Formats: sequence, structure tokens, C-alpha cells
Amino acid sequence: MSVSSETPAATADGVTSTLTPDDIRAALDGLLERRTDQTRLTSMGAGSDDLDDGRAYLAATVDGGWHVPTWPSNHGGRDASVAENQLIGSVLREYVVPDLYPFAIGLGMVGPALLAHGTEEQQDRWLRPIASGAEIWCQMFSEPEAGSDLANVALSAAEDGDVWRLDGQKTWTSRAMWSKWAICLARTDPDQPKHKGLTMFVIAMDAPGVDVRPLRQMNNDAHFSEVFVDGAVVPDAWRVGDVGEGWRVAMTILSHERAGAGSRGGGDGAKRGSRIPTWIADLAALGALDDPIGTDAARRDEAMSIYAADMASRWTAQRAADEARSGGSPGPAGSGAKLRTVSSYKRRAYLANRSAGAAGMLEDGHGYIETVTAPSMSIRGGTDEIQRNILGERVLGLPGEPRLDRDVPWRESRRGLL
Amino acid sequence: MTVRTAPEPVVVDELITETADRLFGELCTHEAVQAAEDSGEAPDIWDAFCETGFDLIAVPEDAGGSGGTLAEAIEVLRLVGYHSAPIPAAENGILGGWLLAEAGLERPDGLVTVIPPRATEGGWSGGGACSVSLDGDGTAVLNGEAHRVPWARSAEAIVCVCECDGRTTVVSVPTSECTITPLPNMAGEPRDSVSFDGATGRAAPTPDGVDAGALAQRGALSRVALMAGAIEKMCQLTVSYTNERVQFGRPVARFQAVQQHLVWAAQDAALVRMAAEVAAREATRGDAPFEIAAAKLVANQAAARATKACHQAHGAMGMTQEYPLHHFSRRLWSWRKEYGSDAHWSAVLGEMATGVGADGLYPLITSGTAALG
Repeated sequence: MSVSSETPAATADGVTSTLTPDDIRAALDGLLERRTDQTRLTSMGAGSDDLDDGRAYLAATVDGGWHVPTWPSNHGGRDASVAENQLIGSVLREYVVPDLYPFAIGLGMVGPALLAHGTEEQQDRWLRPIASGAEIWCQMFSEPEAGSDLANVALSAAEDGDVWRLDGQKTWTSRAMWSKWAICLARTDPDQPKHKGLTMFVIAMDAPGVDVRPLRQMNNDAHFSEVFVDGAVVPDAWRVGDVGEGWRVAMTILSHERAGAGSRGGGDGAKRGSRIPTWIADLAALGALDDPIGTDAARRDEAMSIYAADMASRWTAQRAADEARSGGSPGPAGSGAKLRTVSSYKRRAYLANRSAGAAGMLEDGHGYIETVTAPSMSIRGGTDEIQRNILGERVLGLPGEPRLDRDVPWRESRRGLL
Repeated sequence: MTVRTAPEPVVVDELITETADRLFGELCTHEAVQAAEDSGEAPDIWDAFCETGFDLIAVPEDAGGSGGTLAEAIEVLRLVGYHSAPIPAAENGILGGWLLAEAGLERPDGLVTVIPPRATEGGWSGGGACSVSLDGDGTAVLNGEAHRVPWARSAEAIVCVCECDGRTTVVSVPTSECTITPLPNMAGEPRDSVSFDGATGRAAPTPDGVDAGALAQRGALSRVALMAGAIEKMCQLTVSYTNERVQFGRPVARFQAVQQHLVWAAQDAALVRMAAEVAAREATRGDAPFEIAAAKLVANQAAARATKACHQAHGAMGMTQEYPLHHFSRRLWSWRKEYGSDAHWSAVLGEMATGVGADGLYPLITSGTAALG
């Protein structure tokens, strides 16, 4: 099924919306630049950590609610239906939308989680600055001993009157050095089994006792940090969800992360007026696809196989979006979207780099940054193995992995490096 | 019926393995390898390497080398790869040193590197994108450029093999005659651009069998050896980390999904080491175009699989600069592109296979180059 871009979209209550692509263009033309043949976009922060472009784009679009259309209009959205959201998304692809990597946790994960689990006061305080780009968020989930086994987090939160005191260490916290706020999974009851004693908090990154130390990655970026928390104080009003409900809130956030990673369905955009994705156009410009019989034939095969998989992913993502209720949680099927997107990213990276021949060995050669970033894609946001486990157990209902520590009080469970 | 006598065994002295392993084990710490990325040089490691004589292993003693066999030089290179030693061991010895010795040209006092030949339609072309002209007394004049020259910035002389006046010629140019632009490969190893603008050097004709194609084969063999060592170490790091890392109440190596990665990596490590040893043995005895082509293709493909498997099994830890996995994975991604891609060596093997015909295929697989006749 394809959505024609020239028909009006239905509103949330099923009545045909008056919103047309030309209305959207009329609004956006005054705010954003159109994409041209020269527009080059990066994605997922690969080689780009430009805060200014993203902030200017979000600031320009927040009043019309154009970037997060499904959010309430008083919080930076425009109460759009799923169909309107899709229509706006397709028109937005005609414009220069910068790499929003620095803002992605707030926009894609914390925002939806606050809409689902936050108090009215929390939504009033935090949602609009997320949508406008004024405040950047990070997610303090993983710890040295809690990666794939996320429910094993040890960072503790102890109640002290109407505040909580947090102590512990997080790691792999992406965007921490830019962030004003973090959403932080903490252990409030170590005598409960590991999934049950957790609570979600918001923590101010500039609070006393919060120390961010960037970790340099093999692709030379330092987007990930260790965060040391030593007695940081959090008001009870910044608790998201009930005490002991942290795992449920975390699952909402993670399902958005996975679905978000998969929402574009793989492959970056095409130049305006062209059906050819940019990455294929780049390969063609290298001359890597010229010869239909010789060694280029294998590259053509691989490129078309990736393209076909990308198109299938995109349509699947559209169908999933149609089925999802506006503002609802994408659920475990988001794991499938993440698997497909990651696979496509890796295949495109390796194909691009291989196509550059011997010159591809150089740092900054064609496909370099993607190649040295690619291995992280099937790890960050939940490894491929964990995603497959989720699909097997929660979508297909297959028998679960034996869990040795499920019903054991967390403080008695075995963890960490041997 | 022909009776073939068993070929002489090719034996690598265990002392070589022990000495090189100990030397690199002491010097090539994670910090030292990381530090070498900034400048692209590790003078302390290079000096210690030279003191052992390994810098000129397999270069004949009468040409100023350390003597020894090609197989022994390849074993040293395997350990260079195993320890990610940031030094131009192959360029100075079995590539550049070999060319100078074969052509009877004098070795400069200092490090030698080579211009890697380029694969072209008609075979290998040796001199990069530069033209070489000779005058009568053995002086060569170079103009043009060469790309991705390993450690050019550290070298005293750059050596290449090219066709001049219808003869295959080795040319040695002092780097003082060249303009060098430092560039890193994916692992921060120097792969510099060199431009020649009327640079003068010494030239001498080569004996039969020493040409750009032969240099490409030796270069490919050197990369296979480096890759065999790197994959082996990467695999060991992965087994050890996954046995220590506990998630869900047990070491992650106990999960079948992780074990699959470990098994792929272990198979690839064994496969490439075997391919390297067979190719080195045959190249020590004589020509080994089949074994080298097969070994480089096997190594290139194994590098792609094993880096994926090892990174995935490590999880996020393997992506950081503070953990050493990337020293190996980034080198492997670079080395697989050097001295012949998968596509190049596949085409070479394909031509050999179709050349011997259906009846010759099985003998080619079992006897290798000897079956090419």
C-alpha cells in the first residue's frame, strides 16, 4: 500500500482533514530550505555533532508543531493523526532537515514516555523545550554490569523526605555532555527481584554530584560517556511513574528507541525529484555499478538486494504506524524494525567502503566513518541477539531463555565481571 | 606414472617465534599502539625490532640482510599482526629489502618502504601514477605521484619496480627528493601520498621473475601473515572477554547466540593461519601464485566475518578506544584492501581454474601451483 502524497489525510476522528501537502509546503517554505541536489545529510550522528543546525530547525518548526505532529499542540505538537503525521513526514523530506542525533533521545524516547507516564506538571515543564531544541536529554540506563541485562542496574535511589539521593555509575550514556536532563533508571528496592525494585527519575545533569566523563570510540567520536552519580538530589516530583514501576517505563522508552531506529525503514532519502536513494547515487558516481557483467555485477546485486530490503522495511514501518494508536507504545515489534534498519546500515557501509577499492583503506575514504561506526549499530539500543530474543518470546510466544536470576532478590544475584 | 619426491620440509626456527612474541609482547602495549596512531611512528619499537635483526630477515646476508627464509619472515609478520606492532616490518624487509637485493642496489642507512603496485587490466603496474626515465649511468628521474605508500614519512628511501625502456627496473629514491603528504589508514598507520617532481634516484634492472606482479604476490603474502596474527589475537580477546563478562547471571560465553560468534571467529583464525602457512611454505620453495591468491582471498573474507563476530560478541566495550579490540579490527579492514581486493584475487583464481579445465581442477586444489605446469 502506498500513501499518495497529494491527497488530504484523515484526522484522528476519521473525518477527512483539510490539511493538504500544499498547505504544509506553504507553512514550511517560510521556515526551512528546500533540499537540492547538493544537499548531503548524515544520520545517527555518524560524523556529525552539529547542535546549531538541529536547534535552529527545531526552533523554526515548533510553533507549527511540524516535527512532532502527534504531540499535543500545547506541548510543541499539533494533535495530528497518524495519517496527518505521515503526510507531514513525507513533505518534510523535501526540506533540509539536519541530523537530529543530539536531540533524538528527547524527541523520540523521553517525550513519548512523558506523554505516557508523566504527570501534567512534568509534561508542562519538559515537553516543549524538547520539541523546540532548547533542552537536550540523555538516557541513563546502561551500567558497567547492566548492558544486555539492563534490569540488573545497581545505581541506587534512597528516599530522604521529599527528595531522593542517587548514587552509582552509568555508562554508554550517549549525548550526556550536551544534556540538561537525563531520564535515569535506578534501584529503589534491592530486596526485590531485579525487575521489580526499579524506579525511573529525571535528573539534572548540572546537579552537584553528577560527573560526565566522555568515552572515546573507535570511530573517534565521543558521543558516549560514563556518568558518575555521587549523592545527587532529585525531588520526588521528578519521579516518572510509580515507585517500583521503573522497568515498565523503561520498556516504553526502549520500544520507542527500537521503533525510532527502524522508523525510516532503512536507507536515507533520495534527492528531490529522484527515486534513486542518495547512497546508490553515490555508488554510481564512483563508477562502482557500471559493469553489469564483470566485478561490478556483484556490487549491483548487493545494492539492489539492500534497496529491496529497505523498501520492504519502509512499507512495514508505514503499516505499523497505521496500526499504532497515536501516542501509543510501538511494542515488541519495534525490535524487528531495528534489526532490519541495522542490517541495512551495515550492508550499505561495507558496500560503500568496498566499492572505493584500495583508496577505501584511508581514514576519510568513501564509507570510512560508516564502516567504523557500523559494528556499534547492532549493539547500541539493544543488541541484535536481544532484539531476536524479544521477537521470539514476546511476538511469537516461544519458550523463554532459562532465567537463573528472575525471582532472586537482586542483592543476592550474580553479576559483573567474574 | 611419475614418482614425485617429497619436497624439502620448510621449518621455522622456534627461537624466531619466541623472540618476536616476547619482544612485541613487552613493547606493543595497548597504550604504545594507541600512541603510535597520533604520529604514525613508534621509533622505540622500531629500534628494538632492528636490534634483533628482524628488520632484514630473509634478505640475503651478502646484500646486507639478516638471512633466513621467507617462511621465517612471514612468521615474524604474523606476530607483528598478532601484537598490532605499529611498524613497517614487511616494507623494509621482504618487500623493499628484497627488491634492492635482487637488483643489486645499495641499501640506504635507514628505513626503506615500497610503492605498492596497482592492479590494472593488463596485470600489475609498479610505480604508482608516476613516470620514470633513465639516463645512461643508472640515474632515474621520477615525475608524478604515488598513493598509500606505507610509512613514507619515516623512510630514508622509497623503492618501486617499473618498466623503463622495455626493461623491468628497480628504482630507489631518497625521500629527501620527494614531497610527502602524511595520511592515515583506518587504523592510523601511515599510508602517505608521495609526489615526485624531477626526483632523482638509483635504478638497476631486475633478474627474471622479479617484477610488479611478483612484488604484488609478496605484498599479498605479507598482508595474509599480518591478518592471520590479527584475527588470532582478536579471537583470543573475544573468548577471554565473553568468559569474564556476566549478564543474566552467567558469563555471556554460555549463551549459544554468543558461542556462534566465537565459533565463526575461531574457524576464521584457524583458516587464515593455515592459508598463511601453506602459502609461505610454497613461496619459500618457489613460485606460489595459486597459494598466495587463495590465501589473500581467504584472509580478506575471513577478516570481514571475524571482525563482525568479535565486535558483536564484545558488545559496547569493543567499540571504545580504551579496549584493544579496535587495534585489530581496523587494521584488518585496511589490510584486506591492500595488495588485492576480494574481487581481484577471485578473478585471478577464476582464471587459473578455467585455465586448467575440468580435469585439472581437482589437481589444482590438491597440488596448488605445481598443478599449473
